[in-house]
Amino acid sequence: MSKKIIKCEINNQEVEVPEGTSIIEAFKELDQSIAHYCWHPGLSVAGVCRLCMVDIEGIPKLQIACNTEVKEGMKISNQSEKVKEAVKWGLEFHLINHPLDCPICDQAGECELQEQYMNFGQYSPNMAERKVKKRKVVDLGSKIVLDTERCILCSRCVRFTDEVSKTHELGIFNRGDRSEIGIFKDKPLENEYAVNTVDICPVGALTSKDFRFRQRVWYLKTADSICTGCSTGCNIKIDYNEEGLFRVQPRYNKEVNGYWMCDKGREVYRLPNKEGRLLEAKAPSSYSFKREDSLRPSRAGGNPVSSVEVLKKIRELFVKKEKAPQSALVLTAQYTVEEYEDLVSFFIKHLGTQQDIYYWRNNPESFDDFDGVLLRGDKNPNTKGLLEVLTNQGAIHSWESLQNRLKQKEIEVLWVAGPENQKVYPDLKEKIDTFESYCDNIIWWTAHPLSDSQKIWQIPTKTFFEKEGTLINHTGRAQKVKAVHQLVSSALSLSESATVLKGEELKKQEPPFLVTPMKTNHFTYKKKVL
Amino acid sequence: MEKKLLSEHYHKKEYHTLAGYKSFGGYKDLESAFSKRPEEIVQMVKDSGLRGRGGAGFPTGVKWGFLPDNSEPRYLLCNADEGEPGTFKDRLIMEKAPHQLIEGMLISAWGIQSHKSYIYIRGEYQNCIHVMEEAIKEAYSAGYLGKNICGSDFQHDMDIYIGAGAYICGEETGMISSLEGKKGQPKLKPPFPAVKGYLEKPTIVNNVETLAAVVPIIRDGVEAFRSIGTEKSPGTKFFSVSGCVKKPGNYEVPLGYPLMDLIELAGGLREGRKLKAVIPGGTSAPVLTAEECEKADMDFESLSDLGSMLGSGAVIVMDDSCSMVDMLSVIENFYHHESCGQCTPCREGTGWLSKVINNILKGQGRIQDLNLIQGISENMMGRTICALSDAAALPAISFVTKFREEFETHIRETLAQRKSGALSA
Amino acid sequence: MSKSQKDFKLSEEGLAFVKKELTRYETKRSAILPCVYRVQKENGGWVSPEAVSYLSKIMDIPTAYINEVLSFYTMYNKSPVGKLHIQVCCNLSCAMNGGRELAEHLCESFNVKEGEVSANDEVTISRVECLGACDIAPMAQVNDKYIGPLKKETVVEEMKTLLEEK
Repeated sequence: MSKKIIKCEINNQEVEVPEGTSIIEAFKELDQSIAHYCWHPGLSVAGVCRLCMVDIEGIPKLQIACNTEVKEGMKISNQSEKVKEAVKWGLEFHLINHPLDCPICDQAGECELQEQYMNFGQYSPNMAERKVKKRKVVDLGSKIVLDTERCILCSRCVRFTDEVSKTHELGIFNRGDRSEIGIFKDKPLENEYAVNTVDICPVGALTSKDFRFRQRVWYLKTADSICTGCSTGCNIKIDYNEEGLFRVQPRYNKEVNGYWMCDKGREVYRLPNKEGRLLEAKAPSSYSFKREDSLRPSRAGGNPVSSVEVLKKIRELFVKKEKAPQSALVLTAQYTVEEYEDLVSFFIKHLGTQQDIYYWRNNPESFDDFDGVLLRGDKNPNTKGLLEVLTNQGAIHSWESLQNRLKQKEIEVLWVAGPENQKVYPDLKEKIDTFESYCDNIIWWTAHPLSDSQKIWQIPTKTFFEKEGTLINHTGRAQKVKAVHQLVSSALSLSESATVLKGEELKKQEPPFLVTPMKTNHFTYKKKVL
Repeated sequence: MEKKLLSEHYHKKEYHTLAGYKSFGGYKDLESAFSKRPEEIVQMVKDSGLRGRGGAGFPTGVKWGFLPDNSEPRYLLCNADEGEPGTFKDRLIMEKAPHQLIEGMLISAWGIQSHKSYIYIRGEYQNCIHVMEEAIKEAYSAGYLGKNICGSDFQHDMDIYIGAGAYICGEETGMISSLEGKKGQPKLKPPFPAVKGYLEKPTIVNNVETLAAVVPIIRDGVEAFRSIGTEKSPGTKFFSVSGCVKKPGNYEVPLGYPLMDLIELAGGLREGRKLKAVIPGGTSAPVLTAEECEKADMDFESLSDLGSMLGSGAVIVMDDSCSMVDMLSVIENFYHHESCGQCTPCREGTGWLSKVINNILKGQGRIQDLNLIQGISENMMGRTICALSDAAALPAISFVTKFREEFETHIRETLAQRKSGALSA
Repeated sequence: MSKSQKDFKLSEEGLAFVKKELTRYETKRSAILPCVYRVQKENGGWVSPEAVSYLSKIMDIPTAYINEVLSFYTMYNKSPVGKLHIQVCCNLSCAMNGGRELAEHLCESFNVKEGEVSANDEVTISRVECLGACDIAPMAQVNDKYIGPLKKETVVEEMKTLLEEK
């Protein structure tokens, strides 16, 4: 049933919204600026910061926009002197007991107090009295640190643990200006969604242990992406710079993840980072290369050489034969649809049949789990995509038949597109051992080195941050990841590998434009006092 | 003259027992109420012009009328969290006439068709709690509570909920939060309690005195009730007179009673003392100067015309021995202590006000602080979920404007003392 | 932060009380206030963090909810109190009539700081806001009882008598 549409006027601009819309939502609809701290679109209305004051024609008292519904013909403004004065004082009240420790506060640069003060502040503080002392550096658990002096008691985090995660760890204790956010000692803030409270904290009260003090936010750029942590496919923003990725935050998508993401998903920012990546291709220790320039000092056995060189060698050995050796292809659901299409069609054309393509399903016991919020047991971003490609190609995927064929020594060459996130493949080691004991030639695509595997050809792959492609989540929704910045120069996508294996030349790729133009600081010099 | 509409028999020894109460005609009005339709009861209370006795003075019948038609369940909540400084009349009613309150509640419950009520009593009132518990037990065993009350089809259950020390629970939605087992933080309005109250169900919250006053309305009829008091403030009211008077206590008089006469009723000022100021309706009400007191009648309109309010009817009398700086500091420390802390202007404003005023009191004030007090107060008012912020701001503004000279003198004199070393910083 | 104690458990009657309160009201959560009172009563007048954890377990209500309530209301004591808890009203009418001086006098006489426990766990003296008994100003709540008007000359004796009765 569709709701009645009503018309109203905001700062002399007409807007149509469905009945039941609050004034603040109508402001957002028009992209009009309005000060607020406690209101958050993903949480219940608290109405406590008292900043979203608006003047409504015909109503003498100022109203709060978050708890007032738009009515037909309403004329609303937040530009009047009355509103400006109220907001100025509202901010003054927020700041009188705030420590103003911005230079050592990790929130600086993305702090709502700073932003709102720039816009609406009164720039001549009246407070001459002593501030209320409260607890600083309060440990809330393994992920989050609390500074109760910086806290403006907007209650967003408390509402989050009550309404979204439903874990109820946080409360506001005491009363009046002695009120403090906190946990009770025996129940730390350890739920799977805890770090969302850091995102929604408008000030530097809640900071993430993982992120704090690692980068000032103004040294970071932001790119949109998709979380690869599980099959939900939460929409995310990635904060990164030339050094690598620093954090992941959720990006609103009504259909997929709303405003939130889980804490496990936040870990995916580590996957593309250079530390721990397979930086160059590795050949089994039994191979050596003649060309001087491709010989590099060896680290953990095998001869590291350029990926393209190695793939060319592999083509020579296993593809460009009169009679191709018996090959099998194993795929994990951690790559894009486009990569599967390219690799599978290459495989069918040049190496084997549909019957020799296998789907490696990790953690089958918990694969179908769901926590009721976002977190799914299928720890792959593209299971649906992989299965779709395999079905289209008519490829079957009975794991038992692969095992049988391996044991019968029927497979001469095994091609494996291994997991990008090895942590969620508890059977990784076991699989490597099985493959190695039954097959002499293994080519393995991986973003991270396979330790102690002397017999395996390892080809470094691009992570989700470095390539463009489609991931299909558990509902069948296709979502794109974009190539943002290549952190490992020798890494190739499966598609690129297929191109080389086919004997074609790789298109020289332009490295993506890295440096986004610096944001203009429109506040500087605007106010005389600065 | 006192007019004892409620308190006629309060001095009788056994009045607090069921037998005592019944021997003076108790529960007869409940029986007669059952002979009327519920709508008639609501209409009578509307017509009587009864206004809430807790502080805001909202017409009781109108409040009842806000209940959505046919909504179910409906809760009746009796506000016995008497906390407005200076007020002690509900304690009197509960201790002396618990059955009067129960009868008033039952008539009201029949009117609004509520089958469950709670009396929320502040936790400090141990004696009231004890007396009310006994009375409810008696009422159950006599068939005034439970099923088929007085042989009718009407069912009503009543229970007591005990507060734990928070002024803000006297605010009706703060009380509802507390009854729900939470901190007593007021809830956003709209929705109002009559639509979404206790557990989001329609709830009517009325003060003890208001509910007790329903009994004489049913007993004597609308006309008789309206013949007492003024046109817009009919009936009688308990005034808790305290401070610098000889006979502090509760006095039931018709609304519109002259303030100076009320002070006389309370024994007048102590020997040799001069009237300096009166807070006529609990500390939230703006203070009246001695001059204003001469013109003040104790009803909603007269006091509002003087820029103050009737509030809870707590009349705090100050004579010339009182320092207004000191008095205001006591008041503001109270609001600082009691702010629930959810709305920023109140949480921060009450603390700020009390700090500024305490600094003045200690001799560290500046003349410009008086304007600051004004500025803070004006920007606390009307900016929060409930009226505690206004309650803190109103006395501050009235004290520093009406007694500005005294504040300035205090600031100047203490500054001089500090400079001469007589007062340590 | 409140003080801590080793262990706390309710008596059989206390457990029965909690069980009854949990179903007495329309919502389980309403039982928090009365149950915290009960704990305070059985724990010698105060509620420790350990008791909060305990209560949370037996009521199956998050500790944060209970601690919010405990910390919000002034009648719950977050640290131990003396056998006689003398709460002197210092709000307006009592202040005018010497309530504050009375509190100070009591502290001096019992040689104890405000809010602390005197020697031999005898008394705790605190200043409180209006108790709704301005007709007997200056007054105090001594444990459950209202006493007033108090006189500076006799108050200490009066309290000592009450202490002996304890």
